[in-house]
Amino acid sequence: MRKLARALALLALLPTAAAAYPERPVKLIVPWAAGGDTDNIFRPFGQAFQKQLGETVVIANIGGASGTVGAREAKNAPADGYTLFAVHDYIHLTYYTGVSDVAHTDFAPVCAVASTPSVLTASPKTKWRTLPELVADAKARPGQITVGATLGSTSHFFPAIFEKAAGVRLKYVSYDGLAQRMNAILGGHIDLTDGNLTQKGKVDAGQLRFLAVGTEKRSPEIPDVPTFKELGLDVVYAVVRGVMAPKATPEPVLATLDGACTKAVRDPVFAQSMKVQGTDVHHLDRKGYAAFLARVDAENRLLAQELGLLRR
Amino acid sequence: MRLPRDTLAGLLGLALSVWLFALTAGLPKSSFVPIGPDFYPRIVLAATALLSVAVAVEGVRGRRPRLPGAAPRRNLRLVLLTFLVFGLYVALLPLLGFRAATLAFLLALQVVLDPPADRRRWVTVALVAVVTTAVAYFAFERYLSVLLPRGSLTGF
Amino acid sequence: MLALLADGILDVLQLKYLVPLAAGTLIGVVGGAMPGITITMTVIMVLPFTFGLEPLQGLAAMIGVYVGGESGGLITATLLGIPGKPSSISTMFDGFPMTRKGEPGRAVWLGVWASFFGGLLGGVFLIGATGWLAEIALEFGPWEFFALFIFALSMVAGLTEESLAKGLLAGALGLIITIFGADPIMSVPRFTMGSELLRGGFPFLPVLIGIFAFAQIMTDIERARSLAESDASARDLVSLAVSHVKVVGEILGRPFLLLWSTFIGLLIGVLPAIGGSAASVMAYDQAKKLSRHPERFGTGTPEGIIASEASNNANVGGSLVTIMAFGIPGDAVTAVMLGAMTIHGIQSGPLFMSQETTLAYGIFAAYLLAHPIMLAIMAVGARWFLRIVLVPKSILIPVVLVLCVVGAYALNNTMDSVWVLALFGVIGYGLVKLGFPLAPLILGLILGDQIEVNLVRALMTDSDPALFVTRPISALLLALSAGSIALALWQRRRQRRRQPAADGAPDVDF
Repeated sequence: MRKLARALALLALLPTAAAAYPERPVKLIVPWAAGGDTDNIFRPFGQAFQKQLGETVVIANIGGASGTVGAREAKNAPADGYTLFAVHDYIHLTYYTGVSDVAHTDFAPVCAVASTPSVLTASPKTKWRTLPELVADAKARPGQITVGATLGSTSHFFPAIFEKAAGVRLKYVSYDGLAQRMNAILGGHIDLTDGNLTQKGKVDAGQLRFLAVGTEKRSPEIPDVPTFKELGLDVVYAVVRGVMAPKATPEPVLATLDGACTKAVRDPVFAQSMKVQGTDVHHLDRKGYAAFLARVDAENRLLAQELGLLRR
Repeated sequence: MRLPRDTLAGLLGLALSVWLFALTAGLPKSSFVPIGPDFYPRIVLAATALLSVAVAVEGVRGRRPRLPGAAPRRNLRLVLLTFLVFGLYVALLPLLGFRAATLAFLLALQVVLDPPADRRRWVTVALVAVVTTAVAYFAFERYLSVLLPRGSLTGF
Repeated sequence: MLALLADGILDVLQLKYLVPLAAGTLIGVVGGAMPGITITMTVIMVLPFTFGLEPLQGLAAMIGVYVGGESGGLITATLLGIPGKPSSISTMFDGFPMTRKGEPGRAVWLGVWASFFGGLLGGVFLIGATGWLAEIALEFGPWEFFALFIFALSMVAGLTEESLAKGLLAGALGLIITIFGADPIMSVPRFTMGSELLRGGFPFLPVLIGIFAFAQIMTDIERARSLAESDASARDLVSLAVSHVKVVGEILGRPFLLLWSTFIGLLIGVLPAIGGSAASVMAYDQAKKLSRHPERFGTGTPEGIIASEASNNANVGGSLVTIMAFGIPGDAVTAVMLGAMTIHGIQSGPLFMSQETTLAYGIFAAYLLAHPIMLAIMAVGARWFLRIVLVPKSILIPVVLVLCVVGAYALNNTMDSVWVLALFGVIGYGLVKLGFPLAPLILGLILGDQIEVNLVRALMTDSDPALFVTRPISALLLALSAGSIALALWQRRRQRRRQPAADGAPDVDF
């Protein structure tokens, strides 16, 4: 009976009391299909997040047009804290390459949760065992070595940074999504691609080769794979994923979300599932994430310009 | 004179492909990829235009005559009404929310398809509408965690 | 492999998979039995329920629908002379006469047991061949995939009852639907007419649901005299008692017929987008040609029933091979299944077997187990399904439409998909009125993006277009495409000389 009375009281207060947030399920928009890298990271995060938030977090996959359909949906959602947006670095790229009008500035950052380092991966049908062998071959045959990538997205920019650092020229072939790139690289239809630690099993089985990893120091998961840095190439690349809310979301709601997120990323279950994803838990709070987004945004703009993809 | 059906089909196909083909001219050239976004659509649209002409010509030549007198009576008015009711449902769905709109739709379409003559039929119609709405709502929203549209006017 | 299969079966035997599988099979049998409700429609109705389930639960439910649906049609076909769906038409040819000769039990159970054995033999092939075909598929580069899709399109266009040009045009219209929205290479928006909605293109499943559901439902509505009545009038429930040993003996006593029909079903299943009705018609035709008593066909001979039912259930196994090994849906049912897999983030294709081994064997197990479940459902409920046929269309149609809307909405959690559904509902009905065959159209829709991507990929990998005809597999497939078009032209010319073709009815099922 008292529970009922309390519920009624809450209902009566509803329009004014922001303190009641959250009082119904929160929708977290993942702008890609379920089961993709982003989805695999945000599903376990959603579990940890809802424990802290005290309300169900429903993952809504709104895929399509390089993740821009979901971004538009999130941007236009009511700014009441009941619709959140799971995002990664693509948001800058799709904006600068002119694919979408939605920019990171259309949202209020909540927190960053994870970072996935990129690994340059070669087909077993190629003859290179090491990165220097690849570089030498690429110099001898400019524009002939094929790279599978989602053009204009992170899997395109990572090899492009390598290309610039090593002074070579590669040929890009459009393969949208990791699964398609894996099919193609195993069959030898492309030579190189942007991979990550989730492919470790296939490397151990001799089906793929990791040439170099885009981290500062060697990853403990793959201690035999050198970093670009130790080979003298300045390539550090990881995809950072975080949560944002529509721009006009009230301050107290953002504070509540930030607090819940800070606790959620410490959840050991979440940490374990990130390890399986070949991803590091990488937490930034609201301020930190905002600063990070601003920096990455500038970097991406420069990168898009250098690659001749800048449309703004 | 009535156009043969195939000729009409062919001409519609031709109009569609020519119109879209004209639009491909406005597509940007890709700076990065050697093949632009207009490459494949043009192939498909050119093929469609050719096939449309072939179909239209076949229709005029009347290679496949319609068998006379075999056409059964068509209830086109009912088809139109069904489309109308469905259109209204889809339009009202985001305004009224899933529950209210679906209930109204189920009632309306049942009545349109087979106007109830007596009280017992009315009860059946109402029962089907209420039970279907309730089962769909609870099954999806509660059990399968599929969030159904909420009404922007009703908040329900 | 056997150990993996045993694990898979033990997995699926858990209640949480068994319940959706059994429920799916039951719904499939019911949907298959109802005239005017095709298996595609039934799967579309089940689709939204699978979103909230685990992948294997959802797939088990759909496989149940598929297997149950192929069998469900035979009840009404044999007992009432009304085919529940197109692939039971050839079952009716001999099943209904047998019923009228006073052997309804024998007719029904010959069909059920033939489905059972045909399906299980199909399962053996499914399990044996998928991994092997997947390895071949891995060697397929963009050239080969492009050629394969062209082959599929040309073959389906050639098979339609309508004129060849119209079949091909329908396929081309399907391709056109896929060129709207962001191009698959650089995401340049195409033909958006300034609409935000069109930026993402037309999402596949809402288009498919719209075209199918409305083509079917509106055709039903315009033909119906009174929607209060269903197609069947109430008849006395007959006794279906029969000696199962004798019936099984009748089937297994004709091993060659059973194997040959199964083989035809599998072959048609593996080839993209042809479907169960072609399988059963071809198997029936073959059985008649090879029989020592062809004159008995159509009068209630067991051979006709066995051929038709064994082949249409084996067809399901064949279609599952194509979707699992190549990631290409063989028909609209498997297209919906593939869509459901994508919702769950499962990429089918050459790596499916090695990456999702548990799931793959779960699918095999679900397929095998669906058959005894189907048998049990028939044993308990065959007579009662006759009653379900009596549900009036005026109730059925509104409920089906609501499920279509929920299915479209839940796919992407936006109303956009529902608008697309409604738009293509109108277009689908218009296409049927213009006499376009739907099978090539749907295939074009299914393959459109893949055709473009592979064509562009091939040219991006190597700018030499001659590779399409110099790479052996690709050359072979393209030659076969040209061959199938030429064959279709030649056949039509021969037919036309014999008789003027009648105005084709819309082939809503494929």
